[in-house]
Amino acid sequence: MGLPAMAANEGIQLCVFDTRRGHQEGQELDKILFFFPSDFPYSVQLSVVGLSEGIITFTRIFSPDAACEVIEEERHSHVFYQAEPDIWMVMIVEKNKDNESDWRCDALIDVLKEAHSLFTMFNDSLQALLDKQPSGELARSRLYTFINDYLSDFYVGKKIQVPSFRDCLKERRTVQMLTVSREVAIEVQGDTANMFTYAVLRLTPHALSSNTSSWSYLRRGVSGSSITASSGLLNSRSSPEEYHHGSHDSSMGEQSNRYHMPRPLQRDNWSKGKDGFLVCDIQLNVGGLVYLAPVVWLQQSEEHMYLCIYQHRSLTIIILIPVCSQTDGEQGIALVKKQLLENASEKIVHVEEKLSRGWGGENAYHVSGYRYLLVDTDKSISRTSPPGKVMTLAKDSLLTLNKLREEVDLEKTRANREKPDHEKNLEICIRAKNNSWIIAKITQGRELYMAIEKANETLLYASDAVEKFSDRYCDGAFSLD
Amino acid sequence: MSGKASSDPSQVGLSGSGALSHVYIQHPPLRCNVPGTQGLYYDDGNKLLLAPSSDQVLSWKVSPSTQSDPPNSDFIGEGPVLSIRYSLDGKLIGIQRSNQEIQFINRESRETFSRRCRPDSESILGFFWTDCPSCDVLLIKTSGIDLLSYEPDLNTLRLVEAKRFSVSWYVYTHESRMVLLASGMQCTIFSGYQFSSGGIIRLPKFEMAMAKAEANHKPVLAAEDIHIVTVYGRVYCLQFDRVSMQLNVYRFYRDAVVQQGALPIYSSRIAVSVIDNVLLVHQVDAKVVIIYDVFLDCLSPISAPLPLLLRGSSVSGRQALQVEDNLTSAYGAMIYGDSWTFLVPDLICDIDNGLLWRICLDLEAIASSSSDVPSVLEFLQRRRSDPSKIKMLCLSIMRAIMLERRPISIITRAIDALVTSYAHLVKMENAFHGGDRSSKKSQNSGSQSANTSTIVSAESLDETMNRGKSIIKGAESETQQSTIRNLVNVNDNHAKKSTSKASLDSVSDSDGDANLDAMRSNSGESLDKYLSTDLLSSDAMQDVKKNTKHDYLKQSPIESEGLGCSSSRSDSCISNQQEPQITSVAISPDEMYHFVFQLVEEELGGDPAYLIADIVDSTKEKLRVHPNLYMMMIQMLARTNRYSELALFVTNKILEPSKEVALQLLEQGRQNFQIRKLGMDMLRQLSLHHDFVTVLLQDGYYLEALRYARKHKVITVRPSLFLEAAVAANNSQHLAAVLRMRS
Repeated sequence: MGLPAMAANEGIQLCVFDTRRGHQEGQELDKILFFFPSDFPYSVQLSVVGLSEGIITFTRIFSPDAACEVIEEERHSHVFYQAEPDIWMVMIVEKNKDNESDWRCDALIDVLKEAHSLFTMFNDSLQALLDKQPSGELARSRLYTFINDYLSDFYVGKKIQVPSFRDCLKERRTVQMLTVSREVAIEVQGDTANMFTYAVLRLTPHALSSNTSSWSYLRRGVSGSSITASSGLLNSRSSPEEYHHGSHDSSMGEQSNRYHMPRPLQRDNWSKGKDGFLVCDIQLNVGGLVYLAPVVWLQQSEEHMYLCIYQHRSLTIIILIPVCSQTDGEQGIALVKKQLLENASEKIVHVEEKLSRGWGGENAYHVSGYRYLLVDTDKSISRTSPPGKVMTLAKDSLLTLNKLREEVDLEKTRANREKPDHEKNLEICIRAKNNSWIIAKITQGRELYMAIEKANETLLYASDAVEKFSDRYCDGAFSLD
Repeated sequence: MSGKASSDPSQVGLSGSGALSHVYIQHPPLRCNVPGTQGLYYDDGNKLLLAPSSDQVLSWKVSPSTQSDPPNSDFIGEGPVLSIRYSLDGKLIGIQRSNQEIQFINRESRETFSRRCRPDSESILGFFWTDCPSCDVLLIKTSGIDLLSYEPDLNTLRLVEAKRFSVSWYVYTHESRMVLLASGMQCTIFSGYQFSSGGIIRLPKFEMAMAKAEANHKPVLAAEDIHIVTVYGRVYCLQFDRVSMQLNVYRFYRDAVVQQGALPIYSSRIAVSVIDNVLLVHQVDAKVVIIYDVFLDCLSPISAPLPLLLRGSSVSGRQALQVEDNLTSAYGAMIYGDSWTFLVPDLICDIDNGLLWRICLDLEAIASSSSDVPSVLEFLQRRRSDPSKIKMLCLSIMRAIMLERRPISIITRAIDALVTSYAHLVKMENAFHGGDRSSKKSQNSGSQSANTSTIVSAESLDETMNRGKSIIKGAESETQQSTIRNLVNVNDNHAKKSTSKASLDSVSDSDGDANLDAMRSNSGESLDKYLSTDLLSSDAMQDVKKNTKHDYLKQSPIESEGLGCSSSRSDSCISNQQEPQITSVAISPDEMYHFVFQLVEEELGGDPAYLIADIVDSTKEKLRVHPNLYMMMIQMLARTNRYSELALFVTNKILEPSKEVALQLLEQGRQNFQIRKLGMDMLRQLSLHHDFVTVLLQDGYYLEALRYARKHKVITVRPSLFLEAAVAANNSQHLAAVLRMRS
């Protein structure tokens, strides 16, 4: 019964459950909305979910507002994320003997957060789905396809690889910093980071057609290029859903037949339509309404939006049109698209040319001597050393940086709990075993992480280096004192 | 034609006057029907209307003002008068007595002398006075032209040069300083000269084409079918081809005459007028006018043909209606009557009734008759007649299209039209920044401003510069806002008044663009080069009478000296305040803010997205933007909780960083911490250390403030503030740290 799959994936378990459900004897399975790997025996699933729920209930005694975030066992890490008031996502990751599995819990939680917010964007909140269909079949079937599609990006070979210490100079759920000129200023919604993530995952020209080798405006950053690499891998291997065919959970299969299953994260969903806009066969339906054109739900502005995507060479333009503004549905959108092309196509070409000329290449954001991550949490943007450069760091540096970030995460949560309206400013410089300087600096909601390997031994030198970097590349944001 | 103005002409705006006309003549006309006079003559060099009687000549100065002064009279002695012209300095009167003789009279001494031609072989066609340096009088004869110079001592004319060729007839306008001499069987072969103050330019001989009616019949071109017009400082010639019923347009360059196309004609009799560089072609039989703006060599009419209207003077409302009814009954029948003579450039002389009308453009009506708003704005921005009124019209059009929520693309083009015009002005300012001899010459107030006129020639280029300069000052000064604002209010109530004023001013500045042209091409190059490519209308020097060029130039250094000390902007503002003259139609960003965005914001209310899009559009040209515009954008965005957009505008520098913007962000950031931080960042990036430290302290970041103050040596923040903040935080350790650092 699916043993090979189990063996392959025993490194990670991911479950989504609703604490309000399945309180009655014999109904416990009702609690579980999603479990990965899905071919785990119910007994195992139940015990995992039961344990998690128990821990949450227990920790709530001490901390009613913020229950458990992380449980470290000898061989596993449990990461908790309260996605919606009653809905929890838990990820259990097995630790390896080698220290390759050193990870940062916040990075794992970020994976859960990302998965959830992307899910919500395309499907509406889980709570809404459960309200609509109390039996939970709709929510389960949606989660099943969606999260499996989402996890498909984490496969390395046959194993799921969660973000490890090697990814300590990356920040999920941020938009990689772009130097957008005035002409291309975009209207920003709160969900831009989500949209950006999605665009990077599934809308890059590379993902659409394998023969374009050009760079992408959206793929400038680190995650983009890593996706490119992994998508290459995925295309060559069997697609992940094959794991589930013939699995023991036959009800799932039935459900997916009964409901139309939107799969925005499925690969090769998008293709170029006649009008130059991308078309997809995902046919999303959000909030109980079936839309002919893809529709997304923006959490911050609480609006349904038609998703129109236009690509010109390497430039991807995402246009969100409020559903409420279009009374005649498909026709209205066609009109908007037509007008856009009439009015803006020249500018689009111009912008694309400007960007492709102005793009500094993969290493545009490289600052020699530094390996860094710059995060602006207010604006959800980040900038990093190019991944190729990060790879040159010694393992010791990366491990220390990962540790340091873990500490900073803790410190941030603690400070936030004590003084929610006062932003913690801090600066830490650590000398790693290999004599590299590992630096974290947080000022006014901006975070800078840095590894300097070929540094002089004095602390003064290290702090000078930060100052210089701050003045030159961050408008002096980190050189307040 | 029915001249019924159906609606109140006092409203400014898109609705216009409502009358079905774009061109009107203003009541009352100049009356010159004095008994005993024989005919009316127009001396375009001096802008005098002359009515000779038995031994005297009455002269009316054709001024833009409505008050017609009583005529001057001069003794001319007995004899027939074929034509009569005063010399440009007003000292002599030339009277053509017959086709053999021209008599000259010295006005002071009353001495006379005559010039005759050889009666057997030639006859005199006409004469005119010129301001060209080498001669004073030009005599056109069938055998050629004589260039004559006046010798005051001998009180006689000396022949400077005679050019010999046969002439059938000639056409001359003082405005263009051009004389065209027709010859040949069909009178279609032309020689042309420009006698300007810069010298004599000889045009290459050219031939005009004429369509043939029948195989054997060749039509002969008549003098009345040739019109010289001066538009935008360019000289054109319009040739009415009666066979093909079209008006051929030729443009004169220094070394070439180029046909530019043809305008259709719907009448056997036509007349041509130019008002504020707009070409009017009167279709006399059809009693309609067609309007053209040949700025871009575009020969399509601006609007549909509409009749010429007769308008009462500045009375408003019902009264006006009544008055106009009366007027119509009194004068209606004579509109486009046979006795009408069209004078260059914008006058109509009713010889039988002894009336002189000035033609005016109804810019509001023109603006409201076209739906292509951006083109209308471009058209209006090219007008020079009544800057304040045109400005208000443009602003009200802008407001209207925004309130109507026209598509952004339209708004963009409309704003572009205004911005381009203003950018041009700024460019001029920069080009002439070196010669900072500001002169208020051209805006000396009242009717005098109409008298001032510049000559585009090498020697008076300075003056041209000054003119450009003063125009800019007018547009730039911020204190002028209040003046204009008052004007808005006034204008709405008394537009009628300003309409009539417009008609008065329209005489002036018709050379405005000639200067612009000169300046444009002159940036960097010498004027000579310009002269070599394009033949200048030696500039409609319409009002040179007593205020001759020499007086004029003598005056200007004195003036510039007086103003020389006040070269700084604030000073010039003050001087502008004292002299509230609006000299340019270009709309500055300040005016855009005060009279468009601010007013539209008040009226539009609600969702600001549309207005913000408009504003962003208007600021994309990196011209000076009114700082309050940014304040307004921030407030609008914050009010509607569009904080993320606001943040984006700040990070992408759509909102230019400034202290005001930073403080506004801090203010609006009371509701949104992110925005507040953007404001703080801006303060820091602008190195406004004192403010930055103060804000840090306010927000309770006293340790950070302390460190920052130490690093940037900020000593202007009171130390007690740090201590107070530390005490308030109730942390003795921190308090000690603060004490130590401040001591």
